[in-house]
Amino acid sequence: MNGPSDAQLARLEQLLGAARTTTDSASLAAYEVDGLRPGAAVRPSSAAEVAEVVRLAAAEKLAVILCSGRSKLAIGGVPARYHVALDLSGMNRVLAYDPGDLTLGVEPGVRLEDLQRELAQRGQFLPLEVAYSERATVGGAIAANSYSPLRASFGSARDFVLGMEFVTGAGEIAKSGGRVVKNVSGYDLHKLLIGSLGTLAVITRVNFRTFPRPAELRAFIAAFAGHGAALEFCRTVANSPLEPRVFEVLNPVAAEVSGLAAQFPAHGRAWSVAISAAGSEAVVARHARDLERMTRAAHATHFETLTGADAAPPLRVVREFVRLALEHSPAATIIRIAILPASAGAFAERVVAIAAAAELDAALTFGASGTAYVALLPRSEKQAEASETSAAAAVTQILKAPSSDGDATRGVIEWCPTRLKRRIALWGEPREDFALMQRVKNVFDPHGILSPGRFCGGL
Amino acid sequence: MDPKLIRGLEKLLGRDAVLSSREDMLLYEYDGSVELARPECVVFPRTTSDVVEVMRLARSFKTPVVGRGAGTGLSGGALPRAGGIVAVFSRMNRILEIDAENRRAVVQPGVVNLDVTRAVEHLGLYFAPDPSSQKSCTIGGNVSENAGGPHTLAYGVTTNHVTGLEIVLPDGSVVRGGGKTSETPGYDLTGLMVGSEGTLAIVTEITLRLSRTPEAVKTLLAVYDAVDAATRSVVEITRRGITPAACEMLDGWTLRTVEDFVHAGFPRDCAAVLLLEVEGLSEAVEEHAAEISDVCRAAGAREVRVARDAHERDLLWKGRKNAFGAIGRLSPSYYVLDGVIPRTRLPETLRRVEEIGRKYDFRIGNIFHAGDGNLHPLILFDPRHPGEFERCVAAGREIIQHCIDMGGALTGEHGVGMEKNELMPLMFTPDDLALMTRVRAAWNPDGLLNPQKVLPLGKGCGELRVLPQTVGSALPA
Repeated sequence: MNGPSDAQLARLEQLLGAARTTTDSASLAAYEVDGLRPGAAVRPSSAAEVAEVVRLAAAEKLAVILCSGRSKLAIGGVPARYHVALDLSGMNRVLAYDPGDLTLGVEPGVRLEDLQRELAQRGQFLPLEVAYSERATVGGAIAANSYSPLRASFGSARDFVLGMEFVTGAGEIAKSGGRVVKNVSGYDLHKLLIGSLGTLAVITRVNFRTFPRPAELRAFIAAFAGHGAALEFCRTVANSPLEPRVFEVLNPVAAEVSGLAAQFPAHGRAWSVAISAAGSEAVVARHARDLERMTRAAHATHFETLTGADAAPPLRVVREFVRLALEHSPAATIIRIAILPASAGAFAERVVAIAAAAELDAALTFGASGTAYVALLPRSEKQAEASETSAAAAVTQILKAPSSDGDATRGVIEWCPTRLKRRIALWGEPREDFALMQRVKNVFDPHGILSPGRFCGGL
Repeated sequence: MDPKLIRGLEKLLGRDAVLSSREDMLLYEYDGSVELARPECVVFPRTTSDVVEVMRLARSFKTPVVGRGAGTGLSGGALPRAGGIVAVFSRMNRILEIDAENRRAVVQPGVVNLDVTRAVEHLGLYFAPDPSSQKSCTIGGNVSENAGGPHTLAYGVTTNHVTGLEIVLPDGSVVRGGGKTSETPGYDLTGLMVGSEGTLAIVTEITLRLSRTPEAVKTLLAVYDAVDAATRSVVEITRRGITPAACEMLDGWTLRTVEDFVHAGFPRDCAAVLLLEVEGLSEAVEEHAAEISDVCRAAGAREVRVARDAHERDLLWKGRKNAFGAIGRLSPSYYVLDGVIPRTRLPETLRRVEEIGRKYDFRIGNIFHAGDGNLHPLILFDPRHPGEFERCVAAGREIIQHCIDMGGALTGEHGVGMEKNELMPLMFTPDDLALMTRVRAAWNPDGLLNPQKVLPLGKGCGELRVLPQTVGSALPA
């Protein structure tokens, strides 16, 4: 790759100083994306500094990739160009926290774990419990619209982000939304940035609403002989007055690779459902009672209520599923798919069949919010190399498979080996509104310098 | 307007779907706001392809197109500020699909908000956003304005309940974004569209998220002898992390006016009431209702009533939702504001509103969504008195400035429209507004969709626009 020239590097270094600019190749290894190493990494400490770096990059046509915790750099297409890593980990301040109003404004480099600890001191939390919990930052979780099992009860980031400040690809500092819980002033530009993978702007501040921590939290674990019974149980719960906080279904392979099966040996090769409920003692007791009755009616082979420290391990498994699957099998391909409850059964059957034909194992999870994960796992390291073609075909088939309502499945390959990325359309078929997406991209990043090539349709 | 354009529209849609006489235009020159703007032509499309053809024809005549649902908007969103065509969606009012298992409904824009709930309540489902005008306002309007309502405190506003849209762009192309699933890879264009006030595209079909009817509901009425005690209760309820489904406040003057009209049983001798609702699992409802009662009493409520049955509950809500109508009986005209503040600043803000009322010598009523800090100060004025309207706008402007100073927002649910577009610089920098302008230009390059809305027209920052002569009463007296 044509790195930045020495003159360009010198100008970058001038902006933030040598202490916050890295140019030696060995240190830059940590910023590699799909094997591409940038020519420099810079660590700004304010929106104004970010704007200066981006303006220089725009003027010099240097491609910039954003990062802070670096847990998600493998997501997205192989970058078309990559010159500068913009490391936001130094922008890790809580800018405003009004516990009485349950609102919060933070910089993007704040680690979620640190933030949750701070909020917990005031009896609050943010419903963003994403994988790689000890590394993940606010900016990354928002830019990747990372999955959190709490979506089942709190919705996704778009439901609790109140506004943002950001730096566009032209280097302008702009904002949209606000800091209050209700606001319709102007266009909701910040919604565009959620899940945009750093292709539109550099997020420099996110305003959230926060939520009170519940008095009690219980976890429940149930096992079913097949997906039919497990999904029937899901429907029963969905149609009941219960309000589970987390509700995730795991197929036997998913339970095994994530370690859930080891936590509950009684499950054997069963389909597992991990649930949590929160609230007062009376509310969690009601969930325990009703869930036990419902699992019995759905012929569960196992049901258990977990309290205190025992509640944490299964909930950690569903939160960290992606990471656990990748740790189990580094060559795994992980697909995230939005799925409707009514389509889940047929989808599960189809995925397992496609995977089996490609001689791959398929680990599957469904969240009650309508997000499914499919991890396609090679059966051995050796097979991973050999089966690349069949894996590519299987992935493409899964992404193309129409769901029951006729729409193409809306999926994205969140993680896969770089070499596989070059053979498949990571983002599935282009959306019907792709031309509008391009227009948005051109407005925010007119020089095409922000994460070029990593997003849908090569944006 | 070019008669050729009108003839072209008549040919496309039929003569019964096009109006252009002066008398007819008078019916469409106002909405629920204090603004006025007369269309040159009104069309009633029946299908998406009607909308496409109207857009194409309008574009060839370089004529603006403005969408309109029921005309209940409170910021002039549906008024054709630059003249042109108003497309009224009353004939695109079909619910196309109800998908109970996936909790979705697919509807045309002219469907009335409450009709969605009526169509699905037998399935134990409902549509959560509930603007006070929900008996007449349409989903298309709700989507354009990102409408709220009392129960959005717990459940979120319209944008949180829309998963997909079919839109028509100014060039006549039809694009579908989102769908029934909760997320699709790519930019969240549906999120951008909702609340864009008809300035980016015309919405022709909406996929809505439906919610499950809660197991239990309790409605409480906390009665206060001092406004401060009521606002302190809201601060304390919020601070404790209790999220009622709704938390509405009416001040004494407003509730007496409402009571005279609705006979909801509001106590006439108090300074303020909070109308609170808790919903959900019966265990949680019991606990939250008890905790809220305790908080309100501790903050100084002289009484906390609990609605005994659905009839009592409906009556209390009828009082709340018909409040503007009740006030319309008293004053020739009124101006409703829509500022938002952090909820912790509620007590000082209401004191400030009262001061501003005294300063400008206006009666300002307060009936609003206290739980999310969304104020609706209601300034009564008489447009027949010279200068009174201008004074009213100046008072409103001062209240909004206070909201912004508190870290709040210009508008919580009514939209910017043509009422507050010149106030946008109070909240946004020139760079913020320039970016919004470029986004609009990318979708609506010729500016033919709902022109002169949302973004400021002039170069001046926050200067007051001279408003047009207002209509008499915004609602029938």
